Amino acid sequence: MELTAVQQDALVEVINIGFGRAAASLSKLTGQRVQLEVPSITMCPVDELSDRLRPVIQGDVASIHQIFSGSVVGDALLVIDRQSAAILKELLTNEPALPLEIDASAREVLTEIGNILLNACLGTFGNLLKVQVSFSVPHLGLETLEGVVSSITVDREGLRYALIVHAAFRLKNSSLTGYLIIVLSVASIERLIRAIEQWERDQR
Amino acid sequence: MADERLGEDRRLPAALVRWFSELTYQGLFATDRDLRVIVWNRWMEIHSERTAAEVVGRPLTEVYPDLCTRGLEQYYRDALSGHISVISYGLHRYVLHLPPTNRDLGFNEMPQSGRIGPLSDGDTVIGTVTVLEDVSDRLASDAALRRQIDVQQMARVAAEKALRAKDEFLSTVSHEIRNPLNAVLGWTRILIDRKEVEPDVLARALRVIDRNAAAQVRMIDDLLDVARIASGKLRLEMQTVDLVAVTLAAVDVVAPSATAKQIEVRTHLDPKTPHVLGDPQRLQQVIWNLLSNAVKFTDPGGVVDVSVAPVGKVTRLAVRDTGSGISPDFLPFVFERFRQSDASSARRHGGLGLGLALVRELVELHGGTVRAESAGSRQGATFTIDLPTAKWAEVGRQPAKSGTQPVSEAPSLAGLRLLIVENEADSRELLGVTMTRCGAEVTTASSCEEALAVLRYAAAAKALPHVILSDLGMPEADGFDLIRKIRALAADDGGRIPAVAVTGYVDRDDGRRALDAGFQSHVAKPIDPIAIAVEVARAARAADAPIE
Repeated sequence: MELTAVQQDALVEVINIGFGRAAASLSKLTGQRVQLEVPSITMCPVDELSDRLRPVIQGDVASIHQIFSGSVVGDALLVIDRQSAAILKELLTNEPALPLEIDASAREVLTEIGNILLNACLGTFGNLLKVQVSFSVPHLGLETLEGVVSSITVDREGLRYALIVHAAFRLKNSSLTGYLIIVLSVASIERLIRAIEQWERDQR
Repeated sequence: MADERLGEDRRLPAALVRWFSELTYQGLFATDRDLRVIVWNRWMEIHSERTAAEVVGRPLTEVYPDLCTRGLEQYYRDALSGHISVISYGLHRYVLHLPPTNRDLGFNEMPQSGRIGPLSDGDTVIGTVTVLEDVSDRLASDAALRRQIDVQQMARVAAEKALRAKDEFLSTVSHEIRNPLNAVLGWTRILIDRKEVEPDVLARALRVIDRNAAAQVRMIDDLLDVARIASGKLRLEMQTVDLVAVTLAAVDVVAPSATAKQIEVRTHLDPKTPHVLGDPQRLQQVIWNLLSNAVKFTDPGGVVDVSVAPVGKVTRLAVRDTGSGISPDFLPFVFERFRQSDASSARRHGGLGLGLALVRELVELHGGTVRAESAGSRQGATFTIDLPTAKWAEVGRQPAKSGTQPVSEAPSLAGLRLLIVENEADSRELLGVTMTRCGAEVTTASSCEEALAVLRYAAAAKALPHVILSDLGMPEADGFDLIRKIRALAADDGGRIPAVAVTGYVDRDDGRRALDAGFQSHVAKPIDPIAIAVEVARAARAADAPIE
């Protein structure tokens, strides 16, 4: 299963709405202009997730992980390499970060940033699908990419797909990239794509 | 209580609410869909200083109006639509305005992080739940950690700086030591190569060689002194010193170079200046260093003022010049070793940059202080030295290995009549002056016979000395003879006066023999005024003599 060009464009448009909201919250919170852009979206089976991400993410990562449930179930993660995570925290709080392992305050800030992004994105999906989903408490992990992938809980036995959303943060003349990963069962992802196609048609 | 907190909604199991309410180490409160408080746990009661009874039933935004102004009520709206929000300390500082638990952090409110989420009953969101955490302890330990990291970084920077200063110093040393050598070697070659040398050329060559060799000797002496001080091996020959005389001697030394530069050296020396305790050679070195520095950095036509005067309990020496001054950036470092305000090879002034470091080290060894003042570049500079004059001022960091007694404050001998018996005039005078300084009323005698005469007069006047201090080695009748004769006298004639022997440093047996002969105690030469004063005071106390 691959996304068509039309589906991809529609997804980018939808997610940009969510990211716009998230960027607005972050700007308000930090008192500085934060922009969030979606340069591209790809989709792949969860089994291929590590291979897809390895070329773009080096070394250990920080991941903010939330599980959502309701009529649609799945995992949502923001994955960002460690160094970028520390820089992002410094840029947003204007305070130097200690190594993330010992800096609980920095971990908390990153958790909140991930939470804002995931909420904004999934909230938009929920509105689109006209379903209410509930979320688990976000959890921050410091591990390898493989560790992150193996922590994905939804439908372990079934065929699962991951939407990989490149999220580019722009603030203070810096640019950092994180990856928003939404993992859904095949059935849910088909429902989501159909809903987005419908939305696209309604827009015209 | 628990039922009260449940408010209208009784579907929550009361036992669970009680558990949350009483046992958690976090703040926990819940609201209904209208954001009216329905649960307010014990932690919240303690830290908000508001009881559940006061809060339950009221809208949260009424209890804490700043939730709206700080945009936090949006998180509650999100919670009502099923979202969970993380409220990080880093981005929000706090959730509710609660009194601080750790005032050392300097915050007006307790720093917190929190989570706000939906309170759900099946698929229906019936309200919100907020969990708060006090992060004061975490912030305190983070701050300690950051300080530790900062300290380590500062230490590293300082070490690197010291290393750089040493490198610069080494290149300065090689350059400065080579300079006079070039002149010496150059002129020596000229003299060797020439078959016949005109007398005036020879005289000039020898003057240049002499001057440069002397300059090099001074540099090497400075280097050695710095090394000695660094290893604690510099020994001061302490005695009473007339600082005015020492200053005049130092002025004489710099006079030729000052005259050559048309710099006027003016002296303002207060004749009432009391003597200080110190090493005259080292003090002269200190003053000479300050004076030659002043001359070096003052342009032709300038003035150098030297003053010596007592100020309170100290003797103050100040050297003021009208020279190039010291920039405020460099002022804190003028007394550091290996430091010169301009370490580049293009600097105008020669020298090793050790002079002022030596000045400080030597002054501190004397128990004194030195400071530099300058209004800035081109504004001249003033160096001020304060040396202690009060009695036997503590002598700073006398090296422990020096072999002398550890020097401490000399005891007061005020009110004590002391007879000093010593044939050698210089020693007698030194003992007399030093004991007088301690407050004793001193009578001196130059021989055994004279001492006995003094005692006869004193007995007649009913003013016998309280203590006798006598040298052992004297021509004709010596200290042993003297004490035997004194002990043969009646008490009213001075026969019981306690006596302290000053033993020579050759015969170690002298001490025991002195005690056998009738002395109460003995001190060894060389004369250490403080050790002697201590012995005299001890002897006086043992005999119940009056010391004020």
